[in-house]
Amino acid sequence: MSFSTARTAALLFAVSGLAAADAPGGDRTTFFGGRLRLGGEVSGSIAPEDKGFFNYTDYETNTLRLFRIDVLAEAQLHSKAALLFDARMDNLQSPRVYALYLRLRPWSSRDFDLQLGLVPTVFGSFPRRRYAFDNPLPSLPLVYQYLTTIREDALPRNAEEVVAQRGRGWLVRYPIGDPSFGPGRPLVNAERWDAGIQARIGVHPVSLSLAVTQGTLSHPTVEDDNGGKQISGRLAWMPGPSFTAGLSASSGDFVADEARDELPGGGPGRYRQQALGVDLEWARGHLILRGEAVFSSWHLPAVDATRIEEPLDALGAFVEARYKLRPGLYVASRVDRLAMAEIGSNLGYLSWDADVTRFELGIGYSPLRHVLLKTAWQHNRRDGGRVRQSDLFAVQVLLWY
Amino acid sequence: MVLTPPWGALALALVASRAAAQEQPAAALMAGAGSIRGRVEVRRTPHAEPARPQVAELGMPAAREAVDRRRSVVYLETVPQSAFEAPSPLRAVLDQRNETFVPPVVAITVGSSVDFPNSDKVYHNVFSLSKTRRFDLGRYPRGQSRSVVFDRTGVVRVFCEIHSHMSAYILVFAHRFFAVTDVDGRYRIDGILPGSYTLALWNEGNVRLRREVRVEAGQVLEQDLAVE
Repeated sequence: MSFSTARTAALLFAVSGLAAADAPGGDRTTFFGGRLRLGGEVSGSIAPEDKGFFNYTDYETNTLRLFRIDVLAEAQLHSKAALLFDARMDNLQSPRVYALYLRLRPWSSRDFDLQLGLVPTVFGSFPRRRYAFDNPLPSLPLVYQYLTTIREDALPRNAEEVVAQRGRGWLVRYPIGDPSFGPGRPLVNAERWDAGIQARIGVHPVSLSLAVTQGTLSHPTVEDDNGGKQISGRLAWMPGPSFTAGLSASSGDFVADEARDELPGGGPGRYRQQALGVDLEWARGHLILRGEAVFSSWHLPAVDATRIEEPLDALGAFVEARYKLRPGLYVASRVDRLAMAEIGSNLGYLSWDADVTRFELGIGYSPLRHVLLKTAWQHNRRDGGRVRQSDLFAVQVLLWY
Repeated sequence: MVLTPPWGALALALVASRAAAQEQPAAALMAGAGSIRGRVEVRRTPHAEPARPQVAELGMPAAREAVDRRRSVVYLETVPQSAFEAPSPLRAVLDQRNETFVPPVVAITVGSSVDFPNSDKVYHNVFSLSKTRRFDLGRYPRGQSRSVVFDRTGVVRVFCEIHSHMSAYILVFAHRFFAVTDVDGRYRIDGILPGSYTLALWNEGNVRLRREVRVEAGQVLEQDLAVE
């Protein structure tokens, strides 16, 4: 199937699905007696140009200027097995597979599941409510989207080359590895899922998820690029319906062979991304409060003076609230902060990338069940880079089925 | 077979029934009144509200009971004027159990209230964006309940914000001449004054059948209905 054919097919599917969404008494999104279920989202976001690249992802798209078609499918192969699929098309570019995996429940009487393939990350909470339907604001939290100056395929020789790139994560270049300009990586990438296997076991009120995957939180990937694996996990505690707490951790080889092979001596060390995360959610009545904190540490090789002796550390955190004012109408806000550790260079002690702070305030309105309109004002401030702050007003229209 | 557009026709029937009715004294309602009873057969395979594919979950969703989408509402489209003179508000219950609304269809008279208890360990967030009655009950734990009064006639479609596969219908009538079918499809409408009426069958969002009937004094009229 050519890309243009695939685009047309995705568009037609999205439109037909939306037409079926509100049809009373009809169900045109399930087939084969309910064994195949389809769903999806079509969303369009409009905002002024983001000259500071605060909202760009490593797909080089602005999350506030994005037209996305998202098609979901779940095929129940057996009472204990299902195949899940998610494909996305951004700005009418070529569709890409976001998720494709097999879900198994070996023992129907036990709360134990296995998932194999291109799977959702077990780390944190936000990635699994990533769909625009679950996100009260048009943007993503900084932890899951903002592009730092770290790249897995291109490495700096020294600390000066790192701090020289502060605040320029959307387009960064280093001499070791891929010499071209490219986007850096976020702490946790919510725009891609990782390939591997994961297991989840639940013993009320606790649930434990573990995964072994090809990539890392920053750079999930289908094809292994360094021969290493990532181990990640999340322990969730849900004592009641109103409160959930999660504790996450991960460790995986980050630097790609492409860059490591150019290191003196072939880069014998293990250059990992390690992360810890905490997520909390509390809800009651018309109020939902959510918060997450992620500490990430990248171990990079020390090549030349001034050598990067310590891992590059970053701490990201956000708090989010949504309150429903009346049926179909809510207000939401998110306070977001990303702070990088200082490293020593001949320029003195500076954070290795510029710290970023974001505040957002928005309104959401559903005139119909399958339609959600969001609008938000977003203020960004960065302690470095060419553009230090920006105020953006964004509108998003979301149709889901 | 769907005879009319789904929402407008039913709403029109519910509201227009007052204007079309004959003037009758209230006391005469029960005296010499007849009944209509029968069984509704829904021949098509009823669709359950599908859950969205749970792609972002880390495991299989919990198994749910199948929702009985064959439940129908049988009602009279025109009734005597006196049927409106003694409003009898009801108190119905729409339970949230095992991630389903139980029962999936509720029929009430205008001014009645519906309780929405949560019988699940998890949260639900019951809401409706229907023009007849917009409401959002928020999230509350197991054992608690919220109540909504329905003061306009029409059809209210109820959903859960958290579980997209949960849905139910509430039909709000201006009169009391209606019945929701039981698990076997049986229904019975009592207290009908002798006369000619249009009997309507509603199922899954649509008025699917209309039939002209004549009820004699003291008669129990058998009317089996079927929809494809």
